[in-house]
Amino acid sequence: MPNIQRHRAILLAYLGMIVLLLLTSLVSPGFLAAAHLRSTAVLAAFIGIVALGQTFVIIGGGIDLSVPWVLNAAAVLVTMIARGQNEPLLWAVPLILAAGALVGTVNGLGIAVFGVPPIIMTLAVNVILQGGILVYTGGAPTASAPPAIQFLAVGRIGPLPVVLGIWIVLAVAASILLSKTAFGRYLYAVGTSRTVAEFSGVPTLRTTVLAFTLSGFSAALAGILLTGYSAQAYLGMGDPYLFTSIAAVAIGGASILGGSGHYIGTVAGALVLTILTGLLPALNLSNGALLIVYGAVILVTVSLASETMSDILSILRRPVRSGAGKVRGGEPT
Amino acid sequence: MTASNSRPLESVASRPALHRDALRTALSDRAPFLVACAMALVLIAIYGSLREGVFTLEEINLDTAAAMTLILAATGQTIVLLRGGIDLSIGGVISFGTVLAATKFGDDPARTALWSVLIGLIGFGVGAINGLLITVLKLQPFLVTLATWSIVSGAALLVLPTDGGSLPSTWMAFGTASILGLSTSVWLLVLLCGFWLWFRRTRLGISIRATGSNERSVLLSGVSPLSINVATFGLSGLFAALAALYLTTQTGAGSPTIGKDYILPSVAAAVIGGISLFGGRGGLIGTIIGAFILTIIGNLVFVLSVSSYWQPIVSGVILLVSVLASSIAETSARRSLS
Repeated sequence: MPNIQRHRAILLAYLGMIVLLLLTSLVSPGFLAAAHLRSTAVLAAFIGIVALGQTFVIIGGGIDLSVPWVLNAAAVLVTMIARGQNEPLLWAVPLILAAGALVGTVNGLGIAVFGVPPIIMTLAVNVILQGGILVYTGGAPTASAPPAIQFLAVGRIGPLPVVLGIWIVLAVAASILLSKTAFGRYLYAVGTSRTVAEFSGVPTLRTTVLAFTLSGFSAALAGILLTGYSAQAYLGMGDPYLFTSIAAVAIGGASILGGSGHYIGTVAGALVLTILTGLLPALNLSNGALLIVYGAVILVTVSLASETMSDILSILRRPVRSGAGKVRGGEPT
Repeated sequence: MTASNSRPLESVASRPALHRDALRTALSDRAPFLVACAMALVLIAIYGSLREGVFTLEEINLDTAAAMTLILAATGQTIVLLRGGIDLSIGGVISFGTVLAATKFGDDPARTALWSVLIGLIGFGVGAINGLLITVLKLQPFLVTLATWSIVSGAALLVLPTDGGSLPSTWMAFGTASILGLSTSVWLLVLLCGFWLWFRRTRLGISIRATGSNERSVLLSGVSPLSINVATFGLSGLFAALAALYLTTQTGAGSPTIGKDYILPSVAAAVIGGISLFGGRGGLIGTIIGAFILTIIGNLVFVLSVSSYWQPIVSGVILLVSVLASSIAETSARRSLS
């Protein structure tokens, strides 16, 4: 029962995605064509990669608002260091990914060691990075992205876009981390109750820091890849990803309080958001309407996944054991 | 348990020790606020030493006008933070308020007055819906207000797709008017402080703060969670609408995207001023000081004629310093209790 309860939210996200796909194909025939599906999946991959770290952080009971400028900083640095050449990437990319992870580690340490609320810690780091990058670049856009990164972002191996391949590998890795490792179990425990986890011998400090480190890493990776997609880095390119990364996790069925959710759900969340973005121009709707639909979708999904709603559903279904709908936390198997 | 059992005995035996304890608790409770005051004084001193005429009425008028939109937005945020929540939807309400004002006011004073009231009601309404959803569906304020922020921002874009529109000249004149040498914004600030001194003593004000410090015990005492949440978030929406109205007197135009620039700074101003994100702690005076600190940082960067890009860096560092101060104070308070 608890597992069905937890997975209901994730199933719901996938169901929503399929309904959306069908709706879209009704409105604009050709949407389901391979080429179009592929470009939708590529766009979803960028959201999905940023939202990977966000998923870990949110499951652990935190939130990462530093995503936009970690992403933007990585994008700016990679183009400025490489200057359109492939050779420097060999050392620049690992270095930038490590730097992104380091920013995440700093976030995690501030939160776990000094007890700073995640919202404030990551907000402060975000504005400091923003200022730093603005001072560094003088507000001017940077050089174009090297060909190797453009290949990673828009290239294809056979029918499979490279970035989609990267996303699939990351999704498998993230799912294994969450479901099959001690770190995954610790993360759900910390997100459910830090105090209980602490007393149960869970290394809470290490777990929280690692979750934020992953988030810094994935934001930096997305930043590097995005320069390939838009062929350059520009200031403010990370800003939309704050909203979309959190929305993808929420639509994917994770509780913002922590302790529940899975990256598999976030994948559906990222796809839903991207399909919606593609659907509205087909309906001739403006950017304003898109924001309204985004908000409505978030409200509907979190309402459907809410405890009140599952209480109502469990009353309607007359479950074998009463109160089963209230079981929360733990690790999905 | 043993500590609390031995307290009465101890209080008879060693009164001075208890007094010292009480003093320490009071100090560590107010430590974040005191840190904010100290930072504000240091910043003002630096600013004053770098530029002439800082300590004049004119400068006070200018700085208050610059800080006022943030102060109004942060007032609503403060009320929500005291309740133990967060309100991201104020970004949407501020944008929506400015575009409605810039497109609907016209030149007719009666129409302007009517729409001002309507904008206030819309702000309160958005907040009330937040409170309703949070209570009835037991949803997290962060997600609910994230969703309503998106929705209301979308509505703002539908009303006015780009920055523009216009406001009646009398409306703009109101924003820059001066009474007894003090600008409208200073009088608004005085009014706001008066409101707060009254509000925090009201039944609602006390209930909001009490719910923030210990939700369960307040609910057990018979306060309706629905009315508390609707009032808390409703007030936050109302203050966001007031911030929008004030903002239009300064900018003279509507902007469907300007609200997002106030969401996180409103939280930052409150936290710098000593409001705890865990609810129940702090007050509006701290938030106002926090908003002034953020504004003075902007002035300093300008006076030092370094790149304006330094402003976010300094703001971020100040935010970290103040939140570290408050978390150290809280830890030491907990240690002295146990």
